[in-house]
Amino acid sequence: MSWALGLFALVVLALLAGYPVAFTLAGVSLLVAGVAALGGVFDPALLLTLPSRVFGIMTNDILIAVPLFVFMGVTLQRSRVAEDLLDALSRLCGALPGGLGLAVLLVGVLLAASTGIVGATVVTLGLLALPGMLRRGYDPSVACGAICASGTLGQIVPPSIVLVLLGDVMSSAFQKAQLDMGIFSPQTVSVADLFAGAVLPSLALVGMYLAYLLATAWRSPERLPAGTAESREPLAPGRLLAALVAPLALIVVVLGAIMGGFATPTEAASLGAVGSLMLARREGPIGVAMLRDIAHDTARTTSMVFMVLLGASIFSLVFRGLGGDALVHEWLTQLPGGVVGAMAAVMLLMFVLGFVLDFIEITYVVVPLVGPVLLMMGLDPVWLGVMIAINLQTSFLTPPFGFALFYLRGVAPDSVATGQIYRGVLPFIALQLLMLGVLAWWPGLATWLPSRMFGL
Amino acid sequence: MRSAAAVCVFRLLAFLDRVLSALCALVGRAVAWLTVGMVGLTFAVVVLRYGFDFGRIYLQELITYMHAAVFMLAAAWTLRLGGQVRVDVLYRAMPPRRQAWVDLLGSLFLLLPTAAVLLWLSYDYAEKAWALREASRETGGLPFLYLLKTVLPVASGLLLLQGAADICRRIVDLARDES
Repeated sequence: MSWALGLFALVVLALLAGYPVAFTLAGVSLLVAGVAALGGVFDPALLLTLPSRVFGIMTNDILIAVPLFVFMGVTLQRSRVAEDLLDALSRLCGALPGGLGLAVLLVGVLLAASTGIVGATVVTLGLLALPGMLRRGYDPSVACGAICASGTLGQIVPPSIVLVLLGDVMSSAFQKAQLDMGIFSPQTVSVADLFAGAVLPSLALVGMYLAYLLATAWRSPERLPAGTAESREPLAPGRLLAALVAPLALIVVVLGAIMGGFATPTEAASLGAVGSLMLARREGPIGVAMLRDIAHDTARTTSMVFMVLLGASIFSLVFRGLGGDALVHEWLTQLPGGVVGAMAAVMLLMFVLGFVLDFIEITYVVVPLVGPVLLMMGLDPVWLGVMIAINLQTSFLTPPFGFALFYLRGVAPDSVATGQIYRGVLPFIALQLLMLGVLAWWPGLATWLPSRMFGL
Repeated sequence: MRSAAAVCVFRLLAFLDRVLSALCALVGRAVAWLTVGMVGLTFAVVVLRYGFDFGRIYLQELITYMHAAVFMLAAAWTLRLGGQVRVDVLYRAMPPRRQAWVDLLGSLFLLLPTAAVLLWLSYDYAEKAWALREASRETGGLPFLYLLKTVLPVASGLLLLQGAADICRRIVDLARDES
């Protein structure tokens, strides 16, 4: 029993050293398995299943959506689509106090939802929007807060790849939970369910963010000043329409196809990828060099995601072989407070792990361990997935370890103090926690839409 | 002053690093193009299915093959370019010399054993598939399952080579700092 705990502790420590996550997970697990096998506490024959496990990852149909969504995000990022959108939106809302802030928030959410990668969005926005906001006299802490919050919010706005990964893991956890309970014709939960479940909570969060920015601008206009006459000069309606409507239409078509049940996430992702190429095409011809850069970025990001999955799969094989499954089960079921206590403990654990581990690692390492136990206690898989996503998003925003803050610090000018960034995100963290509370109190916010759409 | 022999060894290590990394990069850059193919083929499958009511298992399987080849065979190249994600809370703040040590020890004790175990286990796995010329279990599927399974040992082998290259490079880095 304590071998499993030792493995977990050793993995976390080794990860902190900074060697790539995928090979740290795999390497430490294999070394511990070797030692444990010598000590007679691990059956080395378990390792013989490794090739078929890896082959299972290679042929997992659901996850083929990942490279296609990455392709779409990379293409949008490399073309000038985001710049044009920001420009159009800020001209549209420029007259409003806080208008530029609103524009940045909306573009950030859209960009983050399409790439699903916090770092990329925060860095892009930090470079793209922060200088302009500061030049216009925005309070640096408000500007930084809006950028970090929208960059992380994108993780839970479908079609982010985070939800694809979480949906895949949640689906197998749900199957396992039901089999363990003796249900042999189990219900299923799909990526589309999770997408649908995340729609209302993420819209509610966007709304709360916007309301906060507007309220701040109304109370103290000097912190989010309106634009000058020149920056408000409206675009020609045609250009405005092109810059504004096309990217929105792309996201709506992709999501609509999935949630309407017309296409699988993979099929919809290919529509998104082709659509993003068409959007990029308007900015100028797509040459071989550009296509090559997109292909390289896509291949490397995809490989990164799947190598972590591979490493985590080796970790969980060894962890289970050492009796870790039983340990987690025992720990969670013996907590005081029953299902509420177990859920609270898991959320707290993930929040803390979110300081050092990225979304992908937590999804693959922690969720398969705790997911089946929580689901056996009767929790709804869609609700659990959305709670986990919002919880982790909050963790990535929280000083001093939140990922988003590091990324923004890396690209923000020196005139912005780190303390200002920290202060700026605090109101957004409060909104996040409020949302978690609302969702805990009222699970229907997540489960209503999927049940209406798919009749679960 | 270093002895001529030491200089010779370091030159050899640097050379090995260049050759092995170039090989992994060649493979990675080649398979990266498959992502463009995946987008095109998946899109075509969607259009054929909804527009012309035409669906074939082998097209679906071809997409899976491309997908698997991309992320497995690009892994070594991605590692070299720093694309494999790290927990960099501490790593980022380390002086370059300590980063080099982390990479050297990590390659030696984490990456090499992983790649070696995977290569060893998956070699048998692929060999069995070759002996049977294993084909898809679906009717109308591709008869090349043994080729897909071969991706596993090949990718493990590439990771092993890239691990060796990284070790060479980090030894040279550390030695250069000392002089």
